[in-house]
Amino acid sequence: MGLEIVDDIRKDYVHDLIGSGKRVDGRGFREYREISMEHDVIKRAEGSARVKIGNTDVLVGVKLEPGAPFPDAPDEGVIITNAEFVPLASPEFESGPPDENSVQLARVVDRGIRSSRAIDLEKLCIEEGEKVWIVFIDIHILDNDGNLVDAAALGAIASLLNIRIPNERYGLTGENTLPMLDTPVAVTTVEIEGNILVDPNFNEENAATSRLTVISNKDGTLSAMQKSGSGGLKEEEIAEMVEIGIEKAGEIREKFL
Amino acid sequence: MKEEIELLKEGKRLDGRGFDELRPIKIEVGVLKRADGSCYFELGDNKVIAAVYGPREMHPRHAQDAKMAVVKFRYNMAPFSVDERKRPGPDRRSMEISKVSREALDPVIMREYYPKTEIDVYVEILQSDAGTRTAGINAASVALADAGIPMKDLVSSVAVGKIEGEVVLDLNAMEDNYGEADMPVAMVTRTNTITLLQMDGRLEKEEFKRGLQLAMSACRQIYELQRAALIDRYSESVVEGEGEE
Amino acid sequence: MYKVVIPGDFISEAVSRAGEGTYVEDGKVYAMRYGIVDERGSIKVVPLSGKYVPTEGDVVIGRVTEISFPFWIVDIASPYEARLHMSEFADTRDEKIEFGSLSRYLDLDDLIVAKVTNVDLMMRIDLALKEDFNLRRGGRLIEIPHTKVPRVIGRGGSMIKMLKEKCNCFIFIAKNGRIWIRGREDDMNLATEAILKIASESHTSGLTDRVADFLDSFKREKGRR
Repeated sequence: MGLEIVDDIRKDYVHDLIGSGKRVDGRGFREYREISMEHDVIKRAEGSARVKIGNTDVLVGVKLEPGAPFPDAPDEGVIITNAEFVPLASPEFESGPPDENSVQLARVVDRGIRSSRAIDLEKLCIEEGEKVWIVFIDIHILDNDGNLVDAAALGAIASLLNIRIPNERYGLTGENTLPMLDTPVAVTTVEIEGNILVDPNFNEENAATSRLTVISNKDGTLSAMQKSGSGGLKEEEIAEMVEIGIEKAGEIREKFL
Repeated sequence: MKEEIELLKEGKRLDGRGFDELRPIKIEVGVLKRADGSCYFELGDNKVIAAVYGPREMHPRHAQDAKMAVVKFRYNMAPFSVDERKRPGPDRRSMEISKVSREALDPVIMREYYPKTEIDVYVEILQSDAGTRTAGINAASVALADAGIPMKDLVSSVAVGKIEGEVVLDLNAMEDNYGEADMPVAMVTRTNTITLLQMDGRLEKEEFKRGLQLAMSACRQIYELQRAALIDRYSESVVEGEGEE
Repeated sequence: MYKVVIPGDFISEAVSRAGEGTYVEDGKVYAMRYGIVDERGSIKVVPLSGKYVPTEGDVVIGRVTEISFPFWIVDIASPYEARLHMSEFADTRDEKIEFGSLSRYLDLDDLIVAKVTNVDLMMRIDLALKEDFNLRRGGRLIEIPHTKVPRVIGRGGSMIKMLKEKCNCFIFIAKNGRIWIRGREDDMNLATEAILKIASESHTSGLTDRVADFLDSFKREKGRR
């Protein structure tokens, strides 16, 4: 367990406000903070994006390298997703190997991409059984004001959308671009006082006991879900969270991807 | 391209089960001598053992919570539990499973009764056939009760999935590998509260809802088995001489 | 007949009588522990297992694990350790003990009988020494789960009275599950066996009689040899 600093006074304040229908920053329950996106910010990466949701700031860089395929998928490229919760992003982040939170985030983002088949892995095959492109998706948290997973997932897809395959660097020939087959979008909601709130900021995340991330595709199908937090959710709450998830994913996809 | 295999033959699953049928379950309580509470749990070919130590003094001191016990959960797979030997030690997958499992049980553990202590839950997967985290959570619930940890309820868990377009209950390894979706769920049956929910694959919203309901009803069945195992352990067995104490 | 319950089992709607081992939700009393329901008086669930947490007034047997002037730190078979202040030790009330000389009075691993005088919100536990008997010579300490202690004592002390008589031993049962036995070697062995038997069959009825039979048959065997 990491150092989860829960300021009781702030928690109560959040709860009280929500009880009277308001959020600390004045947003509606179904309203995202302002989202901004910058593409291609890191020249040395094959793909990159910086996503801000409110004060949360996440940088994603994608690097490609030839490597060996998995034995059970000899003609498919490999995706490896990692997240670094670097200490500069938050007083709670410590330096050291990834903790359970960063491992969870990376794996959830990874599942969203993998299950939606957003990347056509067969197009990443260089030589069947011998050499394929390994796609490293590295998520670098810069500022944690809550809801890292939505920002990270959005940054990952944005990075992948304009990827440049570095054939020249490795003396290979082939396609230099990789069209995406789908654009999965993660939408996270929390439950506080029986209300469902989308895009929790840091205080709301700590005040809530349950969080659900819903990752959905262009056609509204679900590709991944993850409940986290030490609380429980009712069936109706989950249904509402899924509705919001699909709805907001559509809005975000239209605006940014 | 992964080879396609037929998971359904004439509307039945390869192991003969119906779409909403659980694999056979076996539960034994108090199987370890040194642990404060323990449970051996089989779900089909899954064999898991859960042990609880605690509440016990927590170290390091600065990590103690002055108001309540800290619960730690460690999910671990034995190297021989899977076809291709698994290197011993924690990996990212077991880290994530440990986290979501702990979060599945946290809502029912009344931690405020033992401030400044830690409660350790250890789940070892001895043999794996998909659904190990659900088996682990079921076993851990029973082990926690066996250890005398104050709890509001037991937690019960099962996974649902989709194979060849059909939503089915409790996938085995083959179905998990070649199927279209996998969704582990854990629930407190008395209050119908979901404490674990993960999904991976491709599901329509309606399929998801159906899957969740299927999982919830299976959790109720599993709860009855968990309860029976705990109650039966202390049932009056061979006793010569009745009469009040 | 004993009714076994597990956490979350519904017990009663008599919320006003909810006692230890239960919790109340939506006007109903539920079990909080894996244990046996006792509805005489308040509604309680007597746990079948679990760690000992001291309450003021408990008499315990402790073992010194650390000397940390001016305290001895004492293990009382609980997730919480207890402490004994040097002023509690009879000898020291008149003398002034110097730093470094506490071990002359009580050393590491020494056993003591003590009363819990205070348990504060930070779970700091204070003890006062009880010197009713000497724990140093010719005896044996055994430890059973503290949840079994009532059974070893028996209703109105019936079980422990019988044990003392039939085993011809001094037996002291502390609240934290530690038991001090003193007697001849084979008598102590008999007492130990009997106590462990009680602990493992504590949930059954007719136990006092069965233990009595067990002890009698053992003695008969002995007499024959």
